Amino acid sequence: MWLWAALAAVGDVAGAEIDRDLVRRMAAGEERALGELYDRHARLLYSLALRILRERADAEDVLQEAFSQAWRQASRFEAARGTVAGWLVTVTRSRAIDRLRQRRLQPEGVADIERAAHAIPDPTLGLDLQLVSAEQAVRVREALAALPDEQRVPLELAYYEGLSQSEISTKLNVPLGTIKTRMRQTLRRLRDALAGAVA
Amino acid sequence: MTTTYDHDALRELVALHAIGALSPSERDAVDAHLATCAECAAELRAFAPVGMALAQALPQVDPPSSLRTAILDVARHDRHARLGRPAAKVPVAYAPWLAAAAMLVLAAGTTFYAMSLQRRIQSLESELQEARSRIDEGERRVQVALRSAAAAEAPLGVLTAPDVRRIDLAGQPAAPSASARAFWSRSRGLVITASNLPALPAGRIYQLWFVTAQAPVSAGLLTPDGRGGLTATLTTPSDVPNPVALAVTLEPEGGVPSPTGDKYLVGLAN
Repeated sequence: MWLWAALAAVGDVAGAEIDRDLVRRMAAGEERALGELYDRHARLLYSLALRILRERADAEDVLQEAFSQAWRQASRFEAARGTVAGWLVTVTRSRAIDRLRQRRLQPEGVADIERAAHAIPDPTLGLDLQLVSAEQAVRVREALAALPDEQRVPLELAYYEGLSQSEISTKLNVPLGTIKTRMRQTLRRLRDALAGAVA
Repeated sequence: MTTTYDHDALRELVALHAIGALSPSERDAVDAHLATCAECAAELRAFAPVGMALAQALPQVDPPSSLRTAILDVARHDRHARLGRPAAKVPVAYAPWLAAAAMLVLAAGTTFYAMSLQRRIQSLESELQEARSRIDEGERRVQVALRSAAAAEAPLGVLTAPDVRRIDLAGQPAAPSASARAFWSRSRGLVITASNLPALPAGRIYQLWFVTAQAPVSAGLLTPDGRGGLTATLTTPSDVPNPVALAVTLEPEGGVPSPTGDKYLVGLAN
């Protein structure tokens, strides 16, 4: 059952090792290593921040904060806790969600109009293949697209909008227990889709 | 109040933890549990790629190239600040250096903030520029609208002038079926409507005249539409001698100082 995870890890081993080396060089104060790390992951992180915040200036700020944090904390990165890419995605998402929550606390008005003006239409789907294989990425995208709304929407609200399960329950007017069950089912399905690509 | 979770409940939360979708209290509980439960730790590792895949399944958009420069600039300033930072145990004599290092660290933080602000300012300036363009466009449209309104209002001004006079013009042998009606106000100008005027020959135009006791005075040029009709509002000299009649003649294009061509319309001013 877990063979896929090992295989996925093997597939990503070279990239992960390059990232770890870059972080070691960053910890030693080498700016060029930060540039290389940026070149490897900025597109993925920017796309994520932009999807969450839907405003370019905010997404740029989030990336600047995330890479600044990576630069300052490079010496504290623990490889045992996961990949550098995973760390960057977590930091970026978390900062973007924080910013989104702050924005929700602000009164609506000009900022919303500004965001509407900057709303990004979905360009053609492109995939960054540095982290998981092309086949895996395609499978996840297909699996996401194939999900019924009742399963996909709660997941999107949780991951891209940062809503808690109880907030999702309220927003969708669906009992909390049902939301929890659906989200677990959805995540298993995606995990299996990833597994299917290497099985 | 603290919620307590058993193993099964926590295991259920691990998948959500992997995509960062837990509340802070749930996250803390799962983290504490993961330290002691190998099964749940393995479960977390199994779900970890899902969060990454959710980011990768998005449409990928390139960040602006200026962002890379900004991020590297911050690192450079920060590194300079770091290099200036003294060791933990500092002799008193190095106190000024400590202060300097502290200033550099502060400067790095300030630089980051300043750069962030600078990018924000650039973004706002560009939006301001767009807004200004929209305002200019809006003002231009208002001017066009005002001119249209003024143009529409001009005939009304003539027609409602206290000194308005109506002069009917009849077709002459050159255009027996033509006719026209003019409203003239010395203070506000002249409005004329005409019908059945023959089409203009090439290089020719109709010219309207105040026929006075002295020499005729031009009141303006007239161009009929394709069906021989026209409506025109003309600005006329307010010092024109009292006219005895209005006349329309066919003249060379551009008009002439005194009439030379055939009369097409004539009307007596009462």
